[in-house]
Amino acid sequence: MREVFLPQRTEELWEILKREPETEIYAGGTDLLVKMRSGHVNPPSLVCLERIESLRGVFDKGKEVFIGACSTHSNLLEDPVIRKEFPGLTRGIDVLGSPPIRHMGTIGGNIVTASPAGDTLPSLYVLDAEVEVHSKAQKRRLPLRDFILGPGMVALHPQEVLWGIWLKKQPSWNVHHYEKVGRRKALACSIASMAALLELSESGTVVKARLAWGSVGPTILSFSHVDNNLIGQLLSIETLSSLAKQVELSVSPIDDLRASAEYRRTVSGLLLLRLLYYSPSFRQECDS
Amino acid sequence: MKESERHTPITDLLLAQRTHNRILSIGTSAPRVDAYDKVTGRVEYASDYYGNNVVWAGVKRAGVPHARLKTIDSSRAEKHPGFICVLTHENVSGTNRQGVVKKDQPVLVDDKVRYCGDAIALVLAENKTALKESLDLITLDFISLPPVLDVEKAMESGSPLVHDNNSDGNILLKGELRIGLGSAAEEECDFLVEACFETQRQEHAYLETEAGWAYMDEDGRLVIVCSTQTPFRDRMEVAESLGLDTGRVRIIAPYTGGAFGGKDGVTLQSFLGLAALNTKGRPVKMCWDREESFLAGTKRHPARMYYRLGAKKDGSLHCLDVRLYLDTGPYDHLGGVVLAQALEHAGGPYRIPNVVLRGWCVYTNNPIGGAFRGFGVTQVTAAIEQIMDMLADRMDMDPLELRLKNALKRGDKNCVGKTLVSSTGMIDCLEILSKHSVWTERETWKRSGVPFRQRGVGLAAVMQGLGYGPVVPDYANAKVELTSEGNIRVYCGVVDMGQGNDTANLQIVSHILGQNPDRIELVQPDTDRTLPSGSASASRCTYTFGNALIGAATTLMDRILKRAADFMMAARNEELVLVPGGVRCLLTGHEIPLSKIAKLLSHDERVATHHFRAPVATEVITTDQNLRLHGLPHTIFSYAAHLACVEVDELTGKVEIKRYLAVSDCGKVLNPQIFEQQIHGGIAQGIGYALSEDLEVLEGRMLNSNLSTYLLPTAEDVPEIYSVAVEIYEPTGPFGLKGVGEISTNGPLPAVSNAVADACGIRVHQSPLTPERVLGAILKNRGRGEHVEDHV
Amino acid sequence: MSTLRITFRLNRKEIQIEAAPDRRVSDVLREDLGLTGTKESCGAGDCGACTILVDGESRLSCLMLAAQIQGHEITTIEGLAKDQRVHLLQKTFVEHGAIQCGFCTPGIVLASLDLLKRNPNPTRAQIREGLVGNLCRCTGYQKIVDAVQAAAVSVQEEESL
Repeated sequence: MREVFLPQRTEELWEILKREPETEIYAGGTDLLVKMRSGHVNPPSLVCLERIESLRGVFDKGKEVFIGACSTHSNLLEDPVIRKEFPGLTRGIDVLGSPPIRHMGTIGGNIVTASPAGDTLPSLYVLDAEVEVHSKAQKRRLPLRDFILGPGMVALHPQEVLWGIWLKKQPSWNVHHYEKVGRRKALACSIASMAALLELSESGTVVKARLAWGSVGPTILSFSHVDNNLIGQLLSIETLSSLAKQVELSVSPIDDLRASAEYRRTVSGLLLLRLLYYSPSFRQECDS
Repeated sequence: MKESERHTPITDLLLAQRTHNRILSIGTSAPRVDAYDKVTGRVEYASDYYGNNVVWAGVKRAGVPHARLKTIDSSRAEKHPGFICVLTHENVSGTNRQGVVKKDQPVLVDDKVRYCGDAIALVLAENKTALKESLDLITLDFISLPPVLDVEKAMESGSPLVHDNNSDGNILLKGELRIGLGSAAEEECDFLVEACFETQRQEHAYLETEAGWAYMDEDGRLVIVCSTQTPFRDRMEVAESLGLDTGRVRIIAPYTGGAFGGKDGVTLQSFLGLAALNTKGRPVKMCWDREESFLAGTKRHPARMYYRLGAKKDGSLHCLDVRLYLDTGPYDHLGGVVLAQALEHAGGPYRIPNVVLRGWCVYTNNPIGGAFRGFGVTQVTAAIEQIMDMLADRMDMDPLELRLKNALKRGDKNCVGKTLVSSTGMIDCLEILSKHSVWTERETWKRSGVPFRQRGVGLAAVMQGLGYGPVVPDYANAKVELTSEGNIRVYCGVVDMGQGNDTANLQIVSHILGQNPDRIELVQPDTDRTLPSGSASASRCTYTFGNALIGAATTLMDRILKRAADFMMAARNEELVLVPGGVRCLLTGHEIPLSKIAKLLSHDERVATHHFRAPVATEVITTDQNLRLHGLPHTIFSYAAHLACVEVDELTGKVEIKRYLAVSDCGKVLNPQIFEQQIHGGIAQGIGYALSEDLEVLEGRMLNSNLSTYLLPTAEDVPEIYSVAVEIYEPTGPFGLKGVGEISTNGPLPAVSNAVADACGIRVHQSPLTPERVLGAILKNRGRGEHVEDHV
Repeated sequence: MSTLRITFRLNRKEIQIEAAPDRRVSDVLREDLGLTGTKESCGAGDCGACTILVDGESRLSCLMLAAQIQGHEITTIEGLAKDQRVHLLQKTFVEHGAIQCGFCTPGIVLASLDLLKRNPNPTRAQIREGLVGNLCRCTGYQKIVDAVQAAAVSVQEEESL
């Protein structure tokens, strides 16, 4: 029998964390409870964050939006600000798990679990997300890419809790793309994924670009040389095919049960070609 | 709409569900009799009993593929407060051996471990948590033995043996059939194609895992309630293996939450029995979690199939050479029967005058191969239907034309030389498919894809034999009773595991006895109350039991009318008719209620039974008695033609099935809705087999034994399915029907593979067609130096 | 450590139980309260057979702990029928042949209820998308989609009257 603490106020939370150094924290439970069932973790007690109001919600602060870490995936899918400002992230959440999992799982949980296959993560990386971490004594803010250290590892000190995510609105970007590859159409762990944030001029030239890949390295990967090589280019098969080869050389996937490293490497490059769908001239060609 | 308005009065629902105010007819979609209880959560499955003072039982399994057992150390477990006791083979008084054909599987290991799921010890505990903790505290010590992992290597001399006392090394069963000139006829062929196909291990993954409970009743008899397809055979196996008198064992089979062959035979029954014998009167419960169900249960046999198919330039098939290897794991478990059925269907639904078929069913230390919907036909259909398309391509012939030209007709001999004497609708299925809009509009549909997503269509022609073959009797005993209150009680002999045969039974009895469903009660299979009627398998449930039921219901009808005729002083039975609730004399209009007639009949007269045995093949197509015993040949076959329309994503290799058409000849349809349920469900399992399901085993150990890594199709993975029934009357079937349970599972893998070949010009010879395999084949086909733009 | 006293509403009735705080809600429902309509098939959130409604929202009871349900409204399949009247979805499931072995049925009916509340007029594709969390091994899903669509249409028709 384990104690399960459900604090309602943050003061309670700090007290419990101080008292129970070996406890495990969860919000939705869709990751932690599965790990407990399989025996991977066996904490003496549990802290559930779902009752702390200040950990939820989407707050439009003008140039930035703050998302409480315990906002569930379905909260975010239904939020008009998230849908309008961050369609790539919305797409990532849309293909995460299943409806009941999205009702329980949280964006904070997806971040702290830090799986290289996390569905929200590639989009959060291209959005240059920052996380806010609280402890009893202080609050700090740092880029997400510095917060996630490796598979299952985040820069949380003892008695610290991920409080929320800061996203800057990106009005000049006009392509918000996310694609996930799984071995079935839904409810599948990603075997390769790509997020892309692009600003295209009217003629289809790339003005700005940020790309990120999931499931092809220990954490989400992005490459400034790839991003830079797109700038000034038209989205065309030639450009994207040659970039694809660069990406293949840059990613570091592993073999596992779901896919081989070779497949992941190949697909991480090929996924770039999907960006052609956003090219006005390509679309014109297809329609004719 | 207000919350309250979303509710429908319960009377309306009963009306819809049982149409209680009118007699059910044959050929209409009477709603399923079990549906209401299932949709309200009222059905008690075998796992739903928690009882009072229940003991929880669980199995300690080997976890190694091949080893001698040295010691079982339960000393730490014994200290656990919830631990009750541990039982080993020493506590088993009977043969300690189970099996359908060959009894080679121990209840609890007494000699050596032959697969990771082998049961070593049975632990009894006070509750679920104590059980799990006690099991974890038991340690086993083994001497590892070199495992047998590959079928062809297993047959080499010097290979370790799975069963030291097996007469033929690691071969459980082998078979060879030759028709005509065999492979000598290859010289006469104008075209010859050759290919090897490998199909994977598939997991049944029924939603209800193996579960049940047991107790000793006041008479000291062992009562087991369990999720099973075979209550009567289970009773025999439990009695033999545990050393009990069959009459002292009772097996009750409630509605099963899916089975598909995985509960054909003993799963946990003997454990429950052994436990109940050792709990000093307390009831015992066992429920396998998903991982244990993966570990211990049977699988579809993985197959390696070498095919050579030859034809003349006029398109007629001329010769076929097949070598087929099935990995049957460590125990018989119907493996030989699967091999025999695979050999029989290896040539598909075609006339091929020169055939040589060779097959081996081989013991290994991999998971147990057993019965799984399709039963060997699924594997060989994948091969023959793909090589047919390869041949059509080589001959530059339309794949539908090639099939039409060679399709079996009634009176033909099939590829094992069996004359088709029963209804044979293969050509009818293909013709109807050829006129369906999904086929006729295929070229337009293919051209309307989007960039990087190539479209293709693929066919498969399928046949599936019904029943057990010429030696093992396919029989059923139906019992129907006029109760003393004047209602009808039907003793259902074959388990309803979701296929809807309970409702078919209700329709048959309602139709014959002219009674409304609300006066008809169904008794679920129970070795004390219902009569032996064979397994819920082999596409024979409604065919065989339905025929027996027609006999029993007709007998009862005659008795009722005869007695009523005497009582009402009618001259002949024919002047009377059964109407809802009674008997009416058509000449006088006089009517008496059934409750009154019941009092005019003795108890024995009120119970009518009828034994039916399905027809068997008269032709002897092999002198190999062992092969005959294992089911060669069948005599009643169902047929189908399938069409898959797919989209292949050239950037990722993902295959999406956009539409699917199945045209099926399963005789006359008794209940169109239930018929469609079977077609849809079989296709869904076939789609999993084609695209995403693969139980991977390395060095005898399963790599993916849960539902997040073993991928069943979700609602987004199965497309809209168009199903057409070709209702050719089968005279031997109840109201003209044949089996529909298995046939549709066989179509998707070859249809999808053929469609992928049509879309991208590549063929993947290993299933499932994962994105990785498909993309690999696409890129290899292009040569990596080619540019993607050439293929947009 | 002692068990927890938990007060919550179950199928519209207020109840109080004693349970270990980390006891799975699926075990509380099935074993402690005798409501075996909620099924367990994988125990790990992969199949949806254990789906219940928590404050009207579909959740997986095998991944919820007893302590969490304090103060919430839980609906199980047994709670859909009200005052001897069954829910429209249960009726359409029966009529459209959406039930075979029935083991996935309780979970998928509740998931459908949640889906229709969020999207009262879904397309067939949206219905399929909304039910990906509930695996069915028997039906191939088509008749389930038919049943959900029929319930949605029925509601639309009534509302337009």
